[in-house]
Amino acid sequence: MRRREFLTLAAGTAGVGLLPAKWAMAQTRAESLRVLSEAGPNSFDTIGVGISRNSIQVTWNVYDRLVRFGTKMLPYGNLSYDYFRIEGEAAESWEISDDQRSITFRLRPGATFHDGTPVTAADVKWSLDRIVSLPVGKSQFGSGSMTSPDQFEIVDDMTIRVTTPKPDRFTLPNLALTYPVIINSTLAKQHATAEDPWATEWLKTNTAAGGAFKIDAFTPGQSITLSRYDDWKNGPLPNFRRVLWQVVPSAQSRLTSLQRGDADIVQDLPPQDAVALAADPKLKVVGVPMSGAFQFIGMNSGMAPFDNVKVRQAIAYALPYEQMFEAALFKRGRPLFGGEPGPATTTEFPQPLGYSTDLDKAKALLAEAGYPNGFDTTFSFELSLATVGEPVSLLIQEALGKIGIKVTIEKVPAGQLGTLLQEKKVPFFYEASAAYLADADYFFRIFYNGPTRWNFGSYANPEFQALVEKTRFETDKEAYAADVKRMITLAKEEVPIILLWQPTLDTGMQKSIDGYEYEFHRQLELRTLKRV
Amino acid sequence: MTVLLRRMLGIVPTLAGVVIATFVLTRILPGDPAVFFTSSPTADAETIEAVRQKLGLDLPLWQQFLIYVRDLLHGDLGNSILTGQPVLNDLMQRLPASAELTLAAFLLAVVVAVPLGIAAALRPGSLVDHACRLISTAGVSLPTFVTGLLLIYLFYFLWGLAPEPMGQLDPFIPPPARVTGFLLIDSALSGDREAFVSALGQLVLPATTMAIFAIAPLARMTRASMLGTLGSDFVRTARANGLRRRTIVVSYALRNALLPIVTTLGMVFSYMLGANVLVERVFAWPGVGSYALDALLSLDYAPVQGFMLVMAAVFVVVNLLVDLAYQVIDPRSGLLSHG
Repeated sequence: MRRREFLTLAAGTAGVGLLPAKWAMAQTRAESLRVLSEAGPNSFDTIGVGISRNSIQVTWNVYDRLVRFGTKMLPYGNLSYDYFRIEGEAAESWEISDDQRSITFRLRPGATFHDGTPVTAADVKWSLDRIVSLPVGKSQFGSGSMTSPDQFEIVDDMTIRVTTPKPDRFTLPNLALTYPVIINSTLAKQHATAEDPWATEWLKTNTAAGGAFKIDAFTPGQSITLSRYDDWKNGPLPNFRRVLWQVVPSAQSRLTSLQRGDADIVQDLPPQDAVALAADPKLKVVGVPMSGAFQFIGMNSGMAPFDNVKVRQAIAYALPYEQMFEAALFKRGRPLFGGEPGPATTTEFPQPLGYSTDLDKAKALLAEAGYPNGFDTTFSFELSLATVGEPVSLLIQEALGKIGIKVTIEKVPAGQLGTLLQEKKVPFFYEASAAYLADADYFFRIFYNGPTRWNFGSYANPEFQALVEKTRFETDKEAYAADVKRMITLAKEEVPIILLWQPTLDTGMQKSIDGYEYEFHRQLELRTLKRV
Repeated sequence: MTVLLRRMLGIVPTLAGVVIATFVLTRILPGDPAVFFTSSPTADAETIEAVRQKLGLDLPLWQQFLIYVRDLLHGDLGNSILTGQPVLNDLMQRLPASAELTLAAFLLAVVVAVPLGIAAALRPGSLVDHACRLISTAGVSLPTFVTGLLLIYLFYFLWGLAPEPMGQLDPFIPPPARVTGFLLIDSALSGDREAFVSALGQLVLPATTMAIFAIAPLARMTRASMLGTLGSDFVRTARANGLRRRTIVVSYALRNALLPIVTTLGMVFSYMLGANVLVERVFAWPGVGSYALDALLSLDYAPVQGFMLVMAAVFVVVNLLVDLAYQVIDPRSGLLSHG
């Protein structure tokens, strides 16, 4: 056994600190999980300004929410969250009123916070009020028709009711997202001040939680140690007693640690490492296409010549999809190119738009658009996405050159593309984005509609806009399906943005780790993991 | 003493210039932090405006500057959005880590480079001289992260001799009570053997990586300087008078060759302190370099400004120490000799 050889070596060699002293006790090692990632948490307030994506990994496992998404099995045997099945977490059960405007949640009796105080409806109300009273939370909850504290009503000690002006199919899923955590309001209020009534300063660096794990030690930028809360009632008790999550900026160090057996899980593997590690017999790589996330080529249809639909279609036919998929992603993803052109047959979106590489068609369309000799344009991508953006941009430059479009590549420094997109200054670019809620109309409302930077194509089709509004509160399932299909058909025909693929989230782990469940926020669900 | 005081006062305009420069530089950077931090698809123009107000970025530039200076005079370097802590706290926490690494690497480099340079100067054209040239060239031509990764691959991955290259201390050993922030000193002070051994083990590889890079200028400068003094008249006289070799080399030649060597030492130290970002990244060392880099990439202004100020201050202090050292080595050329 490698561990025993190590220990004998340690006994012999003086002075150099070898294995962690406590690892020597085999039983605690088996009960502890060691996770490595590139970046770490920077805040414990789910709606704090500037909260990093990795912070979700802490808040998700340390706090509970009212409800959570259920589990489903994906084609290759991996577990994933199921957006269309909602289960109770802090809420044991709930009832939807006849007019579908109110949901009454009954809290689970016996559930407590980490300090032992019982979870009550007052805590839930304080937590939900907090969300709609702070800017980031308010804008998210607005997508579920929750905008004001009077929509949350305490019925009794263990029951709380949420009422919306109209029946909204986004209300319940919004309560299962990362934001509305149940905070121990008595503890949090002790740290509130007159200028800071929601204890935002204190909650940034402290937790007032009742979830399956609690924070033992936290060194910002370096590591965080979580330990299991043994009195957790809102689900089956996690298998791991202790989780040590370390921030290691160097990808090489993370990989060598995994290969040496010192680390258990390494997150966010780039495609080439995923392919290489999958070949290692001692390790396994779990790859799940990121539902809700997508990468695409954006075209600003407010800027010529991209305002001409034939130009956009021409480019959609000219792109070298297979080559890009291979070179940039090593084929680790779910393609959104190819597929059947014409009217939509399903209501799932994103789905393939029906374009495959066909240079002749592209040239013909370009000529029809009035550009038989092509035109000049720039193509931008952000350097934070360079691993994929770089090969994509080069292949696009080459392919479009063949139909006469001369492309100049512009690399935008990390963090700046958002500003440029906000100002609608970029004609042609590669970007990646994601949305938590899976309903197709939500997707269209954000990414194909409106004046924000998220309307990447600056798409403004009156018929489409009317459908977006109509589907918002549509309760008739058949009418909804028909409208969504029409919107998908328009998205395919007018192609304001060319969808490329949904990348795979690759996580490398020891063969002994099991129970991985893919979550919509792409961070680890620590509560289901176990060592076999 | 008045000269010393005058010298200290001279630091103030330097620091003032640095303050203005850092502020302007970070504000000139394109990219709007408010937009960057509201990167959620449900955020609209109102949310971005609200965040901009919260960050104080909607005020005119001169007002932002005045607020910045006022906070500085109160010792408030602002808050880091990334870590959520006050920048001063972050820097105070991370500076000892960088300093410990830099000092260890520096000592290692000096211990290797100076004797090597002296030996090379004493036997020009010999094997030792060629070895010195080879080591210096190899050390300076390999980028630090390549050296670092190579050492990790050999000593950790292949041979298992070094501990996991992750941070200052083994994650399961509780850190010793913080007195200076230097783990070696703190664990020695509290008698924590386990922590001391672990900290020493973690320090070896990153310090070696940085030292390899620093050996080149030090060795070459030592060699050149020694060659210069060894060829001078007074050394020839000393030899002619039959003084012992040791006395000639150390008391006469080396002492007189020290001035340029000390200058190089000062420069190398300052450079190492600020430019060890790559080593900190490769070894996950919690230092100020990687802290500032992360902040810069995330358009988080306050840590970058704080980092530049601290580095400028350190550079100024190191220069002062070098000047004082001159005084000790050669009273003719030091600070206090100018009337």
